[in-house]
Amino acid sequence: MERFDIAIIGSGPAGVSAALTASLRGKPPLLFGSRTLSDKITKAQRIQNYPGLPDVTGPQLRDALLHHLDVMGVPITEARVNAVYAMGDYFAIQTAAGTYEAAAVILATGVVQGKPLPGEQELLGRGVSYCATCDAPLYRGKRVAVVGTSPAAEPEAAYLAEVAASVVYFPLYSGAPRLPGTVQVRRETPTAVLGENTVQALRTGGGDYPVDGVFLLRDAMAPTQLVPGLAGDGGHVAVDARMATNLPGCFACGDAAGLPYQYIKAAGQGNVAALSAVQYLAARRQ
Amino acid sequence: MVYEVHHNDLTQAQAAEAAVLDFNATWCNPCRMLAPVLEQVSEELAGKALFCGIDVDQNPALAAQFGIQSIPALVVLKNGQPVARQVGFMPKPALRQWLDGLL
Repeated sequence: MERFDIAIIGSGPAGVSAALTASLRGKPPLLFGSRTLSDKITKAQRIQNYPGLPDVTGPQLRDALLHHLDVMGVPITEARVNAVYAMGDYFAIQTAAGTYEAAAVILATGVVQGKPLPGEQELLGRGVSYCATCDAPLYRGKRVAVVGTSPAAEPEAAYLAEVAASVVYFPLYSGAPRLPGTVQVRRETPTAVLGENTVQALRTGGGDYPVDGVFLLRDAMAPTQLVPGLAGDGGHVAVDARMATNLPGCFACGDAAGLPYQYIKAAGQGNVAALSAVQYLAARRQ
Repeated sequence: MVYEVHHNDLTQAQAAEAAVLDFNATWCNPCRMLAPVLEQVSEELAGKALFCGIDVDQNPALAAQFGIQSIPALVVLKNGQPVARQVGFMPKPALRQWLDGLL
């Protein structure tokens, strides 16, 4: 398998900035993200403190960033990253489209809004799962609930329906889900996962659903969930001034690395993270 | 090294002073990632604990007995009794730290 020098996860200002700097330093990165770059920036009305771009709108800044990537010839790999494993001398990056390898990783994933459900963290691995393709076979013949924050969760729910005895799907978005007829769809908001040592039910605004498993399929995962073993700091990734995390070769920048949530700070940290990653690779080679 | 458990037979691990059970499956990506890490750690801790790999599809009775609902799952046995459990992939330093605190 081809091993990249640097993989960057996230295509907001931090990820784009890291990608440009890595590329300039002779390390063309593997950049995971989307051509829309970032939902947050697309929705920003007006940004007044980005030097050189007075009163730029979110979409204008996004287009400028995308243009910069295109001019520099940095491609975007449009795959959702499910997990990053620190293997020691490299990182394995698991996506729906396959596994990639990189010697260094820069996390520019942004922040996940919203808190976990009561019971979610306590019952993680004891009936709560974030990955249907990972854990579905353990629920053969059992009852499961699936919570999806976007249509991207539907294929995973359909896959669960092939093995589980029953699947109840809770879409947290509008529009009719496209699912097999055996899946029950409920428009209720989940409020808690119930159970002592293992999951017993999912509580929603409409009542308690007795289930053996609860799959929470969110679009964005907290970096500390994405990268097992990564140290967090109050909902963010713990980093030093070089943007280095507790895992050697893994760096973080932008909103993921903490407050303040500012575009220019994100871009600056992306630059530092890329330079640190290049330095890490050079030191390792000696 | 990590010994493969067959036919739901845990006799050896239960007789050992300490054992580390690795519940896994061939279709489980994080399990495949954890396997080489655990192999390295098992070499480093050889003589301190018996390391056993348990495929949950081949050994469903053991998976049920230990209430395994997500894999990879590591269970540490002391004199045959489970004393700690950890679910999911762990980088090697974290795995070593966890096991050093237990063994």
